[in-house]
Amino acid sequence: MSEIQEVAAPRRRINFGFDKYSGIYVWALLVLVFALWIPDLFLQTSTLKQVLTFQAISAIVALGLLLPVAAGAFDLTIAGTLTVSVCFTAWALTNGHGIVVAAGGSILIGVIIGLANSLVVVKLKVDSFIGTLGMSSVLIAIAYMITDSSQIVLSTAGYAPFFEFARTEVFGLPLSVYYAALIALFFWWILEYTPGGRYLYAVGGNPVASRLAGVRVGRVTMVAFISSGVTSAFAGIVYLATIGTATPDSGSGYLLPAFSAVFLGATQIRPGRVNVLGTLVAIFLLATGVTGLQLAGAPSYVTQLFNGAALIIAVALASRTARRQG
Amino acid sequence: MTSATPATSALSVRNATKVFGAQVALDNVTIEVAAGEVRALVGQNGCGKSTLIKILAGFHEPEPGIEVLVGGSELALGDPVASEAAGLRFVHQDLGLVGNLDTVDNMALGQGYITNATKTISWRKERSKAREALAALGYEINVNMPVAALQMSERTAVAIARAMSERGTPPKMLILDEPTANLPGPEAQRLYQLVRRVADSGVAVLFVSHHFDEVFEMAESVTVLRDGKLIDTLPVAGLTEEALIELVVGRKLEEHDKGEAVDREHGTEVLQLSGVGGRNVSGMDLTVHQGEVVGVAGITGSGREEVAALVFGGHERSGEILVEGKTLPQNRPDISIQRGVALVPAERHANASLLDQTLRENITLVDPGRHMSLGILRRNPEKSDVRVWLDRLSVKPSGQTEYKMNQLSGGNQQKVILARWLRQEPSVLVLDEPTQGVDVGAKADIHTLVDEAAAQGAAVLLCSTDHEELVRVCDRVVIMRRGRAAEILRGDKITVDNITAATIGRDSAEPAA
Repeated sequence: MSEIQEVAAPRRRINFGFDKYSGIYVWALLVLVFALWIPDLFLQTSTLKQVLTFQAISAIVALGLLLPVAAGAFDLTIAGTLTVSVCFTAWALTNGHGIVVAAGGSILIGVIIGLANSLVVVKLKVDSFIGTLGMSSVLIAIAYMITDSSQIVLSTAGYAPFFEFARTEVFGLPLSVYYAALIALFFWWILEYTPGGRYLYAVGGNPVASRLAGVRVGRVTMVAFISSGVTSAFAGIVYLATIGTATPDSGSGYLLPAFSAVFLGATQIRPGRVNVLGTLVAIFLLATGVTGLQLAGAPSYVTQLFNGAALIIAVALASRTARRQG
Repeated sequence: MTSATPATSALSVRNATKVFGAQVALDNVTIEVAAGEVRALVGQNGCGKSTLIKILAGFHEPEPGIEVLVGGSELALGDPVASEAAGLRFVHQDLGLVGNLDTVDNMALGQGYITNATKTISWRKERSKAREALAALGYEINVNMPVAALQMSERTAVAIARAMSERGTPPKMLILDEPTANLPGPEAQRLYQLVRRVADSGVAVLFVSHHFDEVFEMAESVTVLRDGKLIDTLPVAGLTEEALIELVVGRKLEEHDKGEAVDREHGTEVLQLSGVGGRNVSGMDLTVHQGEVVGVAGITGSGREEVAALVFGGHERSGEILVEGKTLPQNRPDISIQRGVALVPAERHANASLLDQTLRENITLVDPGRHMSLGILRRNPEKSDVRVWLDRLSVKPSGQTEYKMNQLSGGNQQKVILARWLRQEPSVLVLDEPTQGVDVGAKADIHTLVDEAAAQGAAVLLCSTDHEELVRVCDRVVIMRRGRAAEILRGDKITVDNITAATIGRDSAEPAA
């Protein structure tokens, strides 16, 4: 970096925010395209409601992933944790336990999974990608054990109070959407406005330097894993209260979209670091695209195609940003 | 010149000159080494040692007029393959081994594996070849163990065994760079014997060294270079340490002040080390007083590079460290910080900087909660707090709290790290190579800041390889040799020459307290 470049005043160009808000532009473009293409199907309040409702669970899972990724750790157990939580809650409810026991037990399981992940990653020093990949397989096995390899169906009539937990509508939107919003608000506060957020980003940026600046790197990583465990477990409860059926592969569709959203989100709002608002933009960008294509008659596999491509593009964009800044 | 006759000469270099731009790195140097001789090549940094070695290795093309004979035949210069084919073998200080491969694989690197008719590697033959090569050097090690798990001297032996293996031509001369620099005492002894064996087999050994121990223990003769010129080549027998230092530095030095009873200590005792040991350091005692700046000097491998981390608690250690009478637990930088210790570590990119985060986040990392109220970090007070520190340390461009760390020059980055710690008003300030890769202006600023911190009552421990820096800021300078605080320089004895001489001195001196 040359002296001249630094001393010069920061160049002010006319900035349309393409670097920080490109996701919002793309989102608007998608809305416009579908509005012109399939106006009678797409431009309905039901479409908005459908997108919000369908994405509430994905959003909760993706938000839970933010803290570990901010701290530089992958947590591949999020989908497995969701599955175990779904299966445990269904098992507990169908075996005569109350909602509080079922839900409380699920959250406790989330804490335990977070602790187990941090034991593997922090104490046993297994790379987080490998460690949580292994753990996620263990969790799927546990889900099979709980459900006895079949599915548990909660009848709508028999478990009405439980379903109300997610399905009750306020201002036309189910409670699950409000949960996602509250969780987003909570993590936004944590990451942007608390010392904990600084520590998470610092550990993700340079763990050695963080440790030498007094940050308890192991403890920060542990808190991040526990938060993602608890959040995924909570997502599991919301999932069961929304869908009503528990199977050992309930969570299988949630891992990749969460990573797509978090990494695509890292190119938005605050480029270069994972953040809550960027993640939300990414979730609704992906959901709008997928929903629009499905309404236009695209086959259902378009979801996987869209999410996979988005993840790759997001990471490619992020490394391009990093190169330009370096 | 030694009495080597051309008939037994392993290496003969005449009139070696190398110019880089306007600088004469090597000026008409002539050196001759006999077969079976062990020769040390000594001199200060930049004296031309490495240039000479690199010419021999074929990395530098020398100026015309040079003549190099290896074993009596002329060497084609500027061609690494020719150097190797002529029988010159090199082992660099970093050894060039791949840590997670075993000895067999490392020996095969660069020379290929022994294969049978079907191009399958014959591991049995490879193993026995590796064992034999090491046995010839007096080492018996498990050749299937990753070399990273071997002792340092064993790794050096593997590197030497690889260099000594036949590759078309038998080796005529082994050239080593600082062979025992990183070795603790007993392991260094083992290596001396190894070099002796190599020489006894008729191969000449030339080694570059800053370590006078190894010169006196290993070499039969020593060649001194200074400012690119050959000063002298003389036998080690009968040579005194003082005489050799004088040749290296170029002038006579005053007597060192060894273990003087009276200390110029002022203020109360703030930092106390007793019996502190780590990977390289052992039994280190030291007291730093309020307002005092104590320097730590030493060559690479002396333990100097470990002291800062040991004090701060970044490394496993033995012994006890007290700050204002309270014990510092090891491996807990966070508690060290609570007790008022600050560390500006060496290699700021790896150890201190959050490169893609703002100067604000870099500075407040130690206590981000200072501007928190009602559960929310208040960004504006934080910015003005940080701006004050950026101004106080005159970080350029000024007042840019939201600039990313990687937008600043090295010197300014270092000031930001310093700001992080001075903001904590530490009672103990530990600095490790604080002006590494920093330009002259920023360096002077940093020295002034260290003075100011001391004036405000901090006990400062400054570890540095920059001897001028030590002279500039220190009240006392501790000299590390082979992991021990071997000597202390005080007052007007603190000169660049004295520090240099003391760091390369031998360990005959009693350790100073």
